[in-house]
Amino acid sequence: MKIAITGATGYIGRQLAALALHQGHHPLLLTRTAPAADAGAWLRYDLFDTDALTLPGDVQAVVHLAFNPRVATEADGDAEMVAALRLLDAAAAVGARFVFVSSQTAREDAPTAYGRTKWRIEQLVLQRGGSVVRPGQVYGGAAMGLFGLLVNLVDRLPMLPAFLPAPLIQPVHVDDLALALLRIAQLPDATPEVHLIAQSQALSFTTFLRAIAASHVRKTRFFVPVPTALVRLAVRLLGAERSNRLGLSRLDSLFALPVMDTRGSLALLGLQLRSLESGMQPAAPGDQLAAEAAAMLCYVLNRRPDSDLVERYIAAIGRFREGRALGLPGFALRHPALLALLDDRAFLASERGQELAWRLDAATLLAEATQAGAERFIGIRQPAGMLRYGLGLACAVASEVFWRIARPVSMPLFLRDAINRSFP
Amino acid sequence: MSPEFDVIIVGSGPAGVSAAFPLVEAGVKVLMVDGGRQEDVRRPTRSFLEERATDPRQWEWMVGERFHALGMREAISPKLRVPTHAHVFADFAQVNRVDSQGFIALGSLAPGGLSNAWGCGVAQLSPQELAAFPCPSDAMHDSYRTVVERIGVSRSQQDELTDYFGMQGEAQPEIALDKLHTALDQKYRRHGADLLQQGFRLGRFPVAVLSQDRGARKGCNRSGNCLFGCERRSLYSASEDLETLRQFPNFRHARLQVESLRQDAGQGWQVYGEDPQDRQRKTFSARQVHLAAGTVATTRLALSALKHEAPVRLLSCPTAAFILWMPSFLGKPRADAFGYGQLAFVQTLREDVTALGSTFSTVGLPMTEFARHLPLRRRLAVDVLRSLMSSCVVGNMFLPGHLSANQAHLTPDGRLHIRGAYHEDVPALLKQAATSLRRAYARLGAYMLPMSFTAGQPGGDIHYAGTLPMRERPQAGETSAIGELAGLDGLFVVDGASLPNLTEKSHTLTIMANADRIARAALQRLHSA
Repeated sequence: MKIAITGATGYIGRQLAALALHQGHHPLLLTRTAPAADAGAWLRYDLFDTDALTLPGDVQAVVHLAFNPRVATEADGDAEMVAALRLLDAAAAVGARFVFVSSQTAREDAPTAYGRTKWRIEQLVLQRGGSVVRPGQVYGGAAMGLFGLLVNLVDRLPMLPAFLPAPLIQPVHVDDLALALLRIAQLPDATPEVHLIAQSQALSFTTFLRAIAASHVRKTRFFVPVPTALVRLAVRLLGAERSNRLGLSRLDSLFALPVMDTRGSLALLGLQLRSLESGMQPAAPGDQLAAEAAAMLCYVLNRRPDSDLVERYIAAIGRFREGRALGLPGFALRHPALLALLDDRAFLASERGQELAWRLDAATLLAEATQAGAERFIGIRQPAGMLRYGLGLACAVASEVFWRIARPVSMPLFLRDAINRSFP
Repeated sequence: MSPEFDVIIVGSGPAGVSAAFPLVEAGVKVLMVDGGRQEDVRRPTRSFLEERATDPRQWEWMVGERFHALGMREAISPKLRVPTHAHVFADFAQVNRVDSQGFIALGSLAPGGLSNAWGCGVAQLSPQELAAFPCPSDAMHDSYRTVVERIGVSRSQQDELTDYFGMQGEAQPEIALDKLHTALDQKYRRHGADLLQQGFRLGRFPVAVLSQDRGARKGCNRSGNCLFGCERRSLYSASEDLETLRQFPNFRHARLQVESLRQDAGQGWQVYGEDPQDRQRKTFSARQVHLAAGTVATTRLALSALKHEAPVRLLSCPTAAFILWMPSFLGKPRADAFGYGQLAFVQTLREDVTALGSTFSTVGLPMTEFARHLPLRRRLAVDVLRSLMSSCVVGNMFLPGHLSANQAHLTPDGRLHIRGAYHEDVPALLKQAATSLRRAYARLGAYMLPMSFTAGQPGGDIHYAGTLPMRERPQAGETSAIGELAGLDGLFVVDGASLPNLTEKSHTLTIMANADRIARAALQRLHSA
């Protein structure tokens, strides 16, 4: 499929173009300057040109990502509207599907011109039979866009604000969003519709910043409570233009983010989003899976698994789970015994815990079918005896009691955060 | 054109081979067809515990090279996760166009059929139970004897359940019990009289397993590999008989996934299907067709041939499983043991409801099967299983098939749809059984683990029967006293589908005896024609 992409050198556009190319499509990059030669075909395009735009006749979809993030006034918004209209006309002329990437802040009465403009364009696009996508908090991959800004801030500031009450965000990995866009562009019979693309479980903004600190900066960051009312007050005092320049109005719109029920959209597109924990990892996915294999098998076997067994776990995940790592929390990877905090029956039975339950069963099955497993599971070549086995039973029961207390105690300390990041 | 064969037998499981012998021995030209799925997993060769201690590649037969056990995580029975059984159950529902709802519909496309993965328990129906059969009970008795002597059965000569199982025919001595079952047996001998009052009886389960060498098959050496594949071939499988049948020049065996049957006026029967290997469509013709594809597949073929779309009743046994702990064995190391039913129990629940079950050693079972169900963190569950299971035995239990309320019907596009359900009394009966068994076994020093008594799902027993029952005067969708489908001359139903009843007793031997009996009658028909 030939797919035209505006903003193709931006944070999301780059990933979308690369994914399209990788899946055997033909991306046409609509940008001001020529991209790298192997990135796809190029057509010179400026968001604010006003002359008629002609797209090649074989373009089947247009994904509109280009946007001026510094929209401050209604006049700026009008220019965006004109640009969108020009692109809509060009798409209609060749009969191409139109996909507009909007924002979670889009609302008729949004606090920022940005949000209001996005909403106006949405209405226009829907009227013309196009699709609208509202992504959540986009993160992952190269530190660009708003995500890049946050990584930068977390890196530079030793103290970070923990806004109170904590604003809720719904993360989505940039590659998952790119996949969603590509699927929407290919939907067989698309109706004018707003697709909400983000993890359905909302997280606190502080959790999100902490995840960035843990994965990208690897430094401990202290959080200072900042009442959101204070920011609102500053915005009012400074006025629209100055607070816009300082980025304060963007913060303000963060506080007003509505929680989106994304389940319908994700189901429609058959999308399973990666967890924040695995999405934040800059490491190669193979390493993550190997670390998970070692931790899960060690947890079950109560000793380090040999490399053959680790390989088998990885192969099994490759066969049944597309080779994706679960994104276990760091503490569990470093100290497998602490997996007992996650290995809780009620959690494993819940929708969020299903995948961990499957992998725990896989690890148990594979670990048992080894010589080490025979020692561990049925006591082959190990001393037996009534006292030893009796004590073994008593210890196991006592440990179970310990972990049943330890879990709720660790919840507010770090566990809830870790679970929310690892199991969206 | 006259038909190529006298008889085509569809299916090479216990029913198929039992029907084949009388025909082949009388010189009749027989073609037997099956789905041809072959085993491709190495079986353990030494005893289970030796293999576990020393085989660095044990995962190949425990999990499977293609992670069969993991792929079958949701399957109800450990048997379905065993890699050596993968070929037994593979593709059945899809090839035979079976859909089910609330029912576990299994069958086999492998030579030998489901007997490649059965528990080997055998029993004979009593004269009262045989009263539902529209034939003299002598006829069934002769056939029981023939089959028992052919397949090889080990059983006790005399105990509390000898009469209940009613086994006739020459048998081999029983297979030795492990230590836990020996203790249960001894305690029962002391307290049996009291338990009898409560309707509980204990004895040996007759099994189609050799305890002594016979021809190429070796006697059981209690290596504990029953579940993962007995290399000694002590466990009976119909594929053993298939080998014998192949020796006859008038017997032919072919791969064919049968799709439909058609009766040609005056020409006998045409059987249409596909060779699963080369994907070629093939047709064979014969004067008679004997359906032995297994109850589920046979039902679809028969109802399609009849164009019968009204629902039919499908009998199956409600089941339960439980774990017994014998504290006096705590701390004993594990020892290899016979892996299938060692001691049988019979518990009377109601005048018309008797439960039959048996208890097994836990040694040859993967602990993973239990770990998932323990209310403990996984690492601790493994600790508990290691310490506890060597002093436990596991039990299963079957209730009579009249307590099932499953229905099967042929859809207009030729698929068989099965809906599973139990009779409304089943939950209360299971509860009653759990209480009775808990009390009875406690007297024998074995304590039922709390929460371990679990009810099975409809169909999980794989005791299917009765969709095309034999009747004195068969209506549409029923069979005659010799298993011939009403309205379709020369089409005989020789497997579980034609049984008129299903008791709590393992029904394989009855299916085999009935197939033998029907084939003898069908032979008369061939000769008189």
